[in-house]
Amino acid sequence: MISKKIDVNKKEIENIFNNVPDLVAYEFQTKSKIKMMACYIEGLIDKNLFDRDILKALIFYLDKHKDIKDVILTSKVNELNNMEDIEKEIIGGNIVIFMEGCRTCYTVELSKWDKRAVEQPQAESVVRGPKEGFIEDIAVNKVLLRRKIKNSNLIFEDYRLGKQTNTEVSIAYIKGIVNQDVLDEVKNRLKEINIDAVLESGYIEELIEDNTNSFFATVSNSEKPDIIAGKILEGRVAIFTDGTPHVLVVPTLFIEGIMSSEDYYRRPYFSSFLRLLRAFAFFVTIYLPGAFVALMLYHQEMIPTVLLISAAGAREGVPLPVAIEIIIMVIVLELTKESGLRLPKNIGATVSIVGALVLGQAAVQAKLIGALTVILISITALTEFIIPELVQGIVLYRLVVIFLGGFFGLYGVVCAFAAITMHIISLNSFGVPFGWPIAPRNNRGLKDTVVRLHKKRFIFRPEAIAKENVKRQEPPKGE
Amino acid sequence: MRNKVILLIACSILMAFLAGCFDARELDDLGISLVIGVDLQDNRILVTAEVVDPSVSAQENEVGSDGSVKYVQGTGGNIFEALRDITLKFDRRIYLSHNKVIIFGEDFAKKDVVLYMDELFRDREQRETVYILIAKGSKAYEVMGINSGLEELPADYVHRLIKNIEFNPKTVDTNIAEYLKYYYNLGQHPVVGVVERRQRRDIDKSEQKTGTRETELSVLGSAIFKGDSLAGYLNGNDTKSYNFIIDNIQVSPITFPSPLSYEETGKKLVQNEERLSSISIIRNRTKNDVEIRGDRLILKTEVNIRGTLREVIGDIDVSKEENLKKMEEACSKTVEEGIKLAVEKVQKEYELDIFGFGLVFHRKYPEQWEKIKENWDQIFADADFQIDVKTHIIRTGLINKPLAR
Repeated sequence: MISKKIDVNKKEIENIFNNVPDLVAYEFQTKSKIKMMACYIEGLIDKNLFDRDILKALIFYLDKHKDIKDVILTSKVNELNNMEDIEKEIIGGNIVIFMEGCRTCYTVELSKWDKRAVEQPQAESVVRGPKEGFIEDIAVNKVLLRRKIKNSNLIFEDYRLGKQTNTEVSIAYIKGIVNQDVLDEVKNRLKEINIDAVLESGYIEELIEDNTNSFFATVSNSEKPDIIAGKILEGRVAIFTDGTPHVLVVPTLFIEGIMSSEDYYRRPYFSSFLRLLRAFAFFVTIYLPGAFVALMLYHQEMIPTVLLISAAGAREGVPLPVAIEIIIMVIVLELTKESGLRLPKNIGATVSIVGALVLGQAAVQAKLIGALTVILISITALTEFIIPELVQGIVLYRLVVIFLGGFFGLYGVVCAFAAITMHIISLNSFGVPFGWPIAPRNNRGLKDTVVRLHKKRFIFRPEAIAKENVKRQEPPKGE
Repeated sequence: MRNKVILLIACSILMAFLAGCFDARELDDLGISLVIGVDLQDNRILVTAEVVDPSVSAQENEVGSDGSVKYVQGTGGNIFEALRDITLKFDRRIYLSHNKVIIFGEDFAKKDVVLYMDELFRDREQRETVYILIAKGSKAYEVMGINSGLEELPADYVHRLIKNIEFNPKTVDTNIAEYLKYYYNLGQHPVVGVVERRQRRDIDKSEQKTGTRETELSVLGSAIFKGDSLAGYLNGNDTKSYNFIIDNIQVSPITFPSPLSYEETGKKLVQNEERLSSISIIRNRTKNDVEIRGDRLILKTEVNIRGTLREVIGDIDVSKEENLKKMEEACSKTVEEGIKLAVEKVQKEYELDIFGFGLVFHRKYPEQWEKIKENWDQIFADADFQIDVKTHIIRTGLINKPLAR
């Protein structure tokens, strides 16, 4: 409860905040001799506006006949009479104003802190398409999405997650399109979250995903408003988290891993070609090193003679067995990727020199590794980079396939293929089969999978996701 | 439950380490053999292998170079022993999966070839599609190691020669599986390719010439087997006729005397024996048949040639329908005579049915076949032969009249 006495309130608030120095409890008196106090946290508010529009107005114009709302020049003033709410408001960057002899207090939203500008996300750069990306501030992110979908049916629902961090989390969906079951499931799972801190959307992803033991992510994320907009327009639910530009979307399909937003902005033929290429790359990047090991160790008769001779020539004098050689090179590839990621840009060039020259050329010349292995690993890396969304699954499964290929030959590779494929189609994302629309097959859904048809043919939304409102547009005339 | 899972994981890891890798072979443990030659020496088998030396390409630091080859020999009571005899002198095990050609020396070919081939089929490494060649009049190792083509390895050179049957059917491309197929057929004897070493005219006068290649190989002709031993040879033209009868003609040239005119009486075509024209076969279909007429057996062959005109020597304007007819007839006649000659020769000299008329007979008269199958070769040798060749020239090339006037 709020006391009528300002001194008492001040003490209580200072108690709640453990007398931290950045809590400001500024006491002042208006011209009409009313004692007042403003509480806020230094740095979270716009001080200029506070001085000009609130402090000045209160001191000069407030008197006993006027309501506080009539005096201060701001868009939103709330009344509060509860200490817990007051605490939240102050933490959230609002100003709480107490008046002597009054059991209610007023909060004014004047929060302002430094934010990064809206710029192109580094991980998801495109040639054609919007260049803007989400930033760390959730309010800005929501606005970015609203600018894409100018529709009153775009709904945001806010949550506070993290016992200690009180992070603002917001789910976004389009009323009338969203899959109600998925929406309820998302809400339930968010409510069940009982974690102390949410520093990034990855925390939430891990806590709400269906298959915690899978290498493949069944919750996708993006930094780009156009991607998120496209996905919630298909009936998905987006989860915004304050403090991170990565917005989660559920449910996720496996096939989304080989899609890119640019596919929808370019001509359908080229987009389809690229998707086929990515689908091919997915298999190549997982199975190629393992199949290579198997062929080189067990099935030399399957390699064309000319290739076998050059492979044998490349291996001549190499001290390590081919399986070990490949595993070492795959690990070196991961090392190169990871070190390039963490280094500051100005010494990032060193990594490419070390990787390309020392580990590639020099190692071959020194006969530490075969030339063919280097080519193979390069192909593996290239095919991996073309499908960044699936990387987490790919890298680990690739190692598994190499081991099986090295131990059991092609039999091992085929077993790995069967196991991985079965695993993928056994996954679920918020009640939607991960392998949809390929397994289970859905002919309408297949129009936007490995090949993307003309947009005229996108009559239906993905049926497994947008269950209630499937029709996207009228079919083209004459059909 | 948890213990079971741990046990399962432990078992699968153990399985990998205990059972896995048992048949793994590193590439640098293998001596990749491309050709093996089998000879008879002092009643023992002598195996010569052409083994790739990949380190040559490794030294040059190039991927894709074919490197060079080494020749290794081993002797033994059978092929396997001879192959393993090599390991006493050569540091790598001979790996046969990429073997392209097996060459039998003439001495060996006269023995029971099939008896010794067992190892090649029992071992999973050797492919059944490997080609067989008979070293005509020499030892197998004498025709190995000759490369007078553009391929870098001698093995590829021989291999390409066999494959060139596509352009010229005066040879045969029999692989081991086909050989055995004929061997087991009572109604058809195997015919396999031959390879011969020949002197070569040295035309290259450039100074940078590295090493003279004075010899070359020729796969002209074929060898007839009686069951599993060499019976004799066919020359190039007979081999071509053989290929016509067994319907193994692809793109192939036929050269025939240019037609002149029809004789007044009987409409018989007169040909100019000095001037030869050619067609190239696009497609050929051969149908074989047998017929029992009274107490005579008649072998019938029907050849249907579709070809394109390649060379016209003589004053013939092929834009005229009747001239084209003459060409077709002249071509048919030549083929007909060639085939007749070949069949007659085989009937008289070898008394072996290499053409597969026995199979046709078996299909047509299954009951009679049971009675005569043991004597088929004799019956074949005594049978009459009828041949009918039809040529159809479908293209005449870019010019109608020959260049010479």
